[in-house]
Amino acid sequence: MEKENWINSIINSTDGITKVIPDEQLFSKIQSRIINKEVIGTRWLWLAAASFALLFLLNAKAIADKNRNVVSPIESIAANLSNSNQLY
Amino acid sequence: MKNQETDFQNIYNQYRILVYNLALHYLQNMEDAEEVTQDVFVQVYHSLHTFKGESALKTWIYRITINKSLDFIRHKNSSKRFYVFGKKSNNEKEYLNASSFEHPGILLENKENAAILYATINELTENQKTAFILSKIDGLTNPEIAAIMQCGISAVESLIFRAKSALKEKLSKKFEEHRKKK
Repeated sequence: MEKENWINSIINSTDGITKVIPDEQLFSKIQSRIINKEVIGTRWLWLAAASFALLFLLNAKAIADKNRNVVSPIESIAANLSNSNQLY
Repeated sequence: MKNQETDFQNIYNQYRILVYNLALHYLQNMEDAEEVTQDVFVQVYHSLHTFKGESALKTWIYRITINKSLDFIRHKNSSKRFYVFGKKSNNEKEYLNASSFEHPGILLENKENAAILYATINELTENQKTAFILSKIDGLTNPEIAAIMQCGISAVESLIFRAKSALKEKLSKKFEEHRKKK
């Protein structure tokens, strides 16, 4: 009986509980977190965009350089001819 | 944009006490409850445009608060495990103290008993803990809890019943220790 009473008194110990009011500064803390998140978000967005642009330019440059170095078959024959003056 | 700010401030004013107190029941620490309250309202601000109104705003906010609180506890417990071979973290110390948490809104004569209750609630499963907190401490009805937990009313009834049984069983073991102390 004593045990049961004790258990019930524990389970019912939150009866009559009153709500706790949060700190008055809480809203300004939330606002500053929202603003910081937005600023960081925009900054990361620009950084990502710049990285993609840089990657694209480097790729384009690499392709352009590769094309410039490719020797066409006619240019290759002409070069051989000028070296040896022989066709066969 | 201005409208969104006003709406958000109205929502904050309306639900800040609900969110803070619910987080406090879960975390049993004032600073942690404040941090989770911030997390909840930051998410509410960013997700407000995606809220479809399929459930009541209050139900939606309840769900966010419960999820954030449970995530917070999981994160703290995983940090605790991470530090098991190293230096004890401050978090661990806080959670060891959680068993002696004194809720500021509890009547003075019930404070000691409520501390035992909160410590025992922490030993329940997540769903049982949620059902018990919402029903017994927050005073919600079973249909309201069912809407928040997205399950049937009979499932809620069963969860509350199992939570109370588990609590009684755990408390009955604690009673022996309590009697020895006296």
